[in-house]
Amino acid sequence: MRPTRWIFVGLLFGLLVVGSSGPAAAQLGGECTASGVWQNKGLTVDAATIGNDLVTVPRKDTVDWTGSVGSAPGTYRGSVWLELPPPFGKVEIDSWHGTGTNTANSGSKTYSLPKFVPAGVEFTVSGEHIDSNGVCSGSVRVQVEGGPFDSPVTYAALVLTIATGGPLAALLLGMAKAAIAAGFGGAS
Amino acid sequence: MKVSRLIGTAVLGFLFFGFVAIDLVLFGVLALNSVMVTVLPFIGLLLCAVLGVLASRPRTRPLA
Repeated sequence: MRPTRWIFVGLLFGLLVVGSSGPAAAQLGGECTASGVWQNKGLTVDAATIGNDLVTVPRKDTVDWTGSVGSAPGTYRGSVWLELPPPFGKVEIDSWHGTGTNTANSGSKTYSLPKFVPAGVEFTVSGEHIDSNGVCSGSVRVQVEGGPFDSPVTYAALVLTIATGGPLAALLLGMAKAAIAAGFGGAS
Repeated sequence: MKVSRLIGTAVLGFLFFGFVAIDLVLFGVLALNSVMVTVLPFIGLLLCAVLGVLASRPRTRPLA
């Protein structure tokens, strides 16, 4: 097994993908560990101890990560994904599978999130690693450092809100005027 | 009220509340995976449809 592919390595990779500095929280279940240190920000995240805290990560940085499982995994598989609102399910960020005996791995990953990834938005990144020892799963709540206006997506969303809200307000006002003119509620 | 206008109002309500939900996510009020992101557009659809139906009821001016 390539040790770098452990679930919480994947989880931390997920952190890298969805944000770089922001609040994040992790919940870990199973015999495994995962942690990451953001070199520039000096942020350390240990999935086993961070609990429900929200983790804020920088938009770009380099993360030194480590991950391990309790004993030789044998045949393994796993994935890490971004949780979407129901019923949209999830978007897979990474997956892995194979056979091996290594129980730990570590490495560094440099990332730079594009501008369209909004800052200040709470993402939940979940992951799962399954091997001959059982299942290790967890989730981390993260957000990218910065404010909502750091991303052009916010401006687009506001323009679309106004573009639909204006005509809707006009329609509703027209209805209200008609209702008032006819005697509110009518039909008697 | 014409049916087409009623449908238009409901669709606009759906879109408007949908974009409001997106705004709430972008401003950190709702988490991305919150069920409210899904529910809000349908609340808008129903609300505007109900308003449209109420407005389309036959009216008579009250007698003095």
